[in-house]
Amino acid sequence: MADELPYDRILRECLKSELRVINAHLPSKQKPLSDLLSEEYPHVLCRDGSTHLFKRKELKYLADLLDAEEQKELSLPILIGVVAGVGEIVILCPGVVEEKVISKILDMPLTRGQKGIVIYKPQLAIIRKLLRTTTQYLFPPKL
Amino acid sequence: MPQQLIKVARPTKIELIKLRRRLVLATRIQKIIKDRVSILILEFLQIARQTVETKRALLEEFSEGYKALSIAAGYHGYIALEKELIASEKDLAIAGGLRNVGGVRIPAFELKEEEGALRGYSLVDTSSWLDQAARLSGKCLETIVELAELQRSLELLGKEINRTKRILNALEYLIIPSLQATIKYLYMKFEERDREEKSRLKRVKVLLERR
Repeated sequence: MADELPYDRILRECLKSELRVINAHLPSKQKPLSDLLSEEYPHVLCRDGSTHLFKRKELKYLADLLDAEEQKELSLPILIGVVAGVGEIVILCPGVVEEKVISKILDMPLTRGQKGIVIYKPQLAIIRKLLRTTTQYLFPPKL
Repeated sequence: MPQQLIKVARPTKIELIKLRRRLVLATRIQKIIKDRVSILILEFLQIARQTVETKRALLEEFSEGYKALSIAAGYHGYIALEKELIASEKDLAIAGGLRNVGGVRIPAFELKEEEGALRGYSLVDTSSWLDQAARLSGKCLETIVELAELQRSLELLGKEINRTKRILNALEYLIIPSLQATIKYLYMKFEERDREEKSRLKRVKVLLERR
């Protein structure tokens, strides 16, 4: 039998770190929009210890879409789950406010599935163009 | 291209199970990385488009700004304009941080504006031409900061796409095929053993019948 390839072990290590890297940026705790608006430098702490900065312009845009009560309910960043191998994008939303925001941005009614709101890549591009810092990708091994 | 086999200590069922588990894991990781690459490419293309738009906008703003400034200079005269503008110099405040796109840390800059702040020159001695020039140069500054963020993002995303694609190719064309080839080899080895066992039993049966 042929010898083990010299870089087989290295690649295995690479793959391990790859999975660690792609989800390391997730926030340790989401913050409500109302709190972020009052901060001088709106940010959240990530799991890897880094900070994720929000742009004030985007926060103001979101605030314009929602009333004061809804601003307290909207947790940021909004998490966008990418389902492996399917090409579907799931927006994880515990409340209805996220649904309202996404619906207003896309200008279309949305149906909520079991996992969250299911959208597709062209719609994702529209959302990411407007909400660059207030949304984050999540790569769940199984969703 | 013949697939290289992975070294297994002994061709046993345990090794086969281990290899099958590795294959499942590798396939799952391949799917995740494939999605990651497609997301990174989507972001890269979007940022590339935005960079082109921002560059075009910046050129237009610069040309408008220079036009307004030359009109103001013509109206007030260079010496008077310079005298007014000496006092208007101030430091810029830029809020900088990081944002993360699919595991890539990208800088985020934002020009901090003081709302309602005066520009520093006398409003009595100057005309609205200078106000117009100041407003347009402020807009230029904002666009320059945005362009800096976009260009750095493009560089970082490009590098990450290259790196991830290399890993994806290694998985797609090397690791998974070699795992599949080794599993196939082990199956063939087991079948061969079965055949050997069967012929041995037949031989024993014949010998026993002869006695």
